[in-house]
Amino acid sequence: MNLSFKTNSRHGYSVKFSPYFPHRIACATSQYYGIAGCGTLFILDTVGDQIIVVQTFDWKEGLFDVTWAENNENIVISASGDGTLQIWDINQPKGPLRVLAEHTKEVNSIDWSQTRDENLLLSGSWDGTIKLWDIFQERSLSTYKGHDNIVYSVNWSPRLPSCFASGSGDQTVRVWDARKHNVPATVIPAHQAEILTCDWSKYDENIIISGGVDGIIRCWDIRKTGCCLLELLGHQYAVRRIKTSPFVRNVIASCSYDFSVRIWDLTSGHQLQMIEHHTEFVYGLDWNLHIPGQIADCSWDEFVRIYQPIACLPAS
Amino acid sequence: MDRLKVLSGHVISRNFREWQIGHNPTAANNSPEDIIIVSALRTPIGKAKRGSFKDTYPDDLLAAVFKAVIADVNVSPSDIGDICIGNVGDSRAAATARFAQFYSGIPETVPIFTTNRQCSSGLQAVLNVAGSIRNGVCNVGLAGGFESMTLQNNNTKDINPRVFEVEKARDCLIPMGITSENVAKRFGVSRLKQDQFSVESQRRASEAQKNGLFKAEIVPVTTTIKDKDGNEQTITVTKDDGIRPGTTLEGLGKLRPAFQENGTTTAGNSSQVSDGAAAVLLATRSEVAKRGWPVLGVLKSFAVCGCPPDIMGIGPAVAIPVALKKAGLSVNDIDIFEINEAFASQALYCVEKLGIDPVKVNPKGGAIALGHPLGCTGSRQIATLLHELKRRRKRSYGVVSMCIGTGMGAAAVFEYPGM
Repeated sequence: MNLSFKTNSRHGYSVKFSPYFPHRIACATSQYYGIAGCGTLFILDTVGDQIIVVQTFDWKEGLFDVTWAENNENIVISASGDGTLQIWDINQPKGPLRVLAEHTKEVNSIDWSQTRDENLLLSGSWDGTIKLWDIFQERSLSTYKGHDNIVYSVNWSPRLPSCFASGSGDQTVRVWDARKHNVPATVIPAHQAEILTCDWSKYDENIIISGGVDGIIRCWDIRKTGCCLLELLGHQYAVRRIKTSPFVRNVIASCSYDFSVRIWDLTSGHQLQMIEHHTEFVYGLDWNLHIPGQIADCSWDEFVRIYQPIACLPAS
Repeated sequence: MDRLKVLSGHVISRNFREWQIGHNPTAANNSPEDIIIVSALRTPIGKAKRGSFKDTYPDDLLAAVFKAVIADVNVSPSDIGDICIGNVGDSRAAATARFAQFYSGIPETVPIFTTNRQCSSGLQAVLNVAGSIRNGVCNVGLAGGFESMTLQNNNTKDINPRVFEVEKARDCLIPMGITSENVAKRFGVSRLKQDQFSVESQRRASEAQKNGLFKAEIVPVTTTIKDKDGNEQTITVTKDDGIRPGTTLEGLGKLRPAFQENGTTTAGNSSQVSDGAAAVLLATRSEVAKRGWPVLGVLKSFAVCGCPPDIMGIGPAVAIPVALKKAGLSVNDIDIFEINEAFASQALYCVEKLGIDPVKVNPKGGAIALGHPLGCTGSRQIATLLHELKRRRKRSYGVVSMCIGTGMGAAAVFEYPGM
């Protein structure tokens, strides 16, 4: 399977599979490479060998990230260059249900809590702060300060309740307890370059994987941050996003400014496969939570692709 | 923030980054060869001749800090590749340091040497060890400084008469207090301003002491002390002797000039005469990573510069800009300046000359309150600086600087990586 969809004159920033429907993705895009102009959120379905548009939402500024609500299959939240978050109902094409405006600069990352019955949203911004939201409340619940540069990535731990990680242009990954304001539990000086992405292992609660402008991917144990567990070299330019596999313990995928998506095996430290089907920076990447080995990605080349890398085919 | 600028910052190929790191040693990029401060600790500072350490030998003070830094990161003593210790007044400093090494269980196989660049000796020792590491002598080194001004005797008996024929050489014999008067007079630093500065130094130090801010840097020292009848008593010293809470401007105003009639330099606005020791453990970044040690600080740059001997106190104003330039930083990038308060006159001059926000200078007080055990001071300042940056948690830069008798200034820039 290898399907494509063109987001005409919209450049892909982020793509996420629905936690409810195996065939549904949301894709956040921006006009003019996100440097100026407006943004569009696409809700796309795979039907047979086609990708069809279910809904599109336009926003007056570029959209940099998207996350699905875990408590309602129709709610999706986008993050915008104007510092706001938009909460959309895919059955209501008119406009967002609510706009959360508090960040003073671009919002680069959002993530919905992985803890059951805890419907909390995190946002990380170019203003250096991370905010915690209940989408039914106008104001944020908490603001986490500490990074002294852009926060590029915020990720809830899939295993430790109220614990989240952030990656920043200040070259650190920080691990926070959402209940303790402004005091990161751990600071990992993970790269000697801006950190654009991090993700938690879905199998080991102590493992975080980070990627940065140095093109390096590193694995960390948050209990012992003095040195990294593993370093993956291969990307020639900045690593934009890393996603750990929901199905295979030691497999991760990464996408980069070097136009490639790479699949890695953390046990051996080897690259399993390189996918070069984009002709521009690859910004968005996600694993399907329902179909083992299926990946969606999106790029500045205006293409969203859904496919199953050979390296990720389930053993038959 | 300009999106184009941020995005273009992401598009640096790995080859280019390596090129950049290789060609710009002062860039903010970390390198495996970086010199890392792993531990920095000091004794409390005692008042010379009448304070807590009046009956304590300096080798005992030095051994206390040696043991403390070794225990701090649990380094095996035999893994220390070289030791350099700063001292000014001990006529057999090299032997004193070697004694302390043996008291603290560092084996004979580990070499040691001492260094004397007067008041910067404690900083110079750290730079000497950093040099040993850079020269490939060792990967892990120990530095520090000590001074017992209780035992000091200033002997100028055997000086070559020729000194008095050469103006600059003669100027080196000007008592330090007079150089302070020279700075005050030449640059118009009034008695009132000097006293205000000193009150503030005392206030900050006593505030810091009250709030326990020195706890992280001080190693308690158990020693013996004699009372006036000569009876020995065992005490554990945990606090600096010299801090005087409740020091007032009125009180300082009543003191008479100490060095010159009609002068402005008094016992209250000068550094105190003290006993103390400090130690700093250094290693390369790669060694630190290998051993899983914490990074207390990163040495970013160092400068030592000469200046006229008769106004030696201006040294920091000369050295700090050079060190900052080497680190690629400006005065505004620095969160804390530890500028040794040899005298309020010269410290004030330097702060004003460099346009430093006074809030950033010696936030826990300086030598006017804490004391100035000459050879120890530079290492003491490193401990004070790095533990305060650590307490503030965020990634930041700090400067350690001091003036040097006979006319010099030294300055080093450190980075705290944040937590």
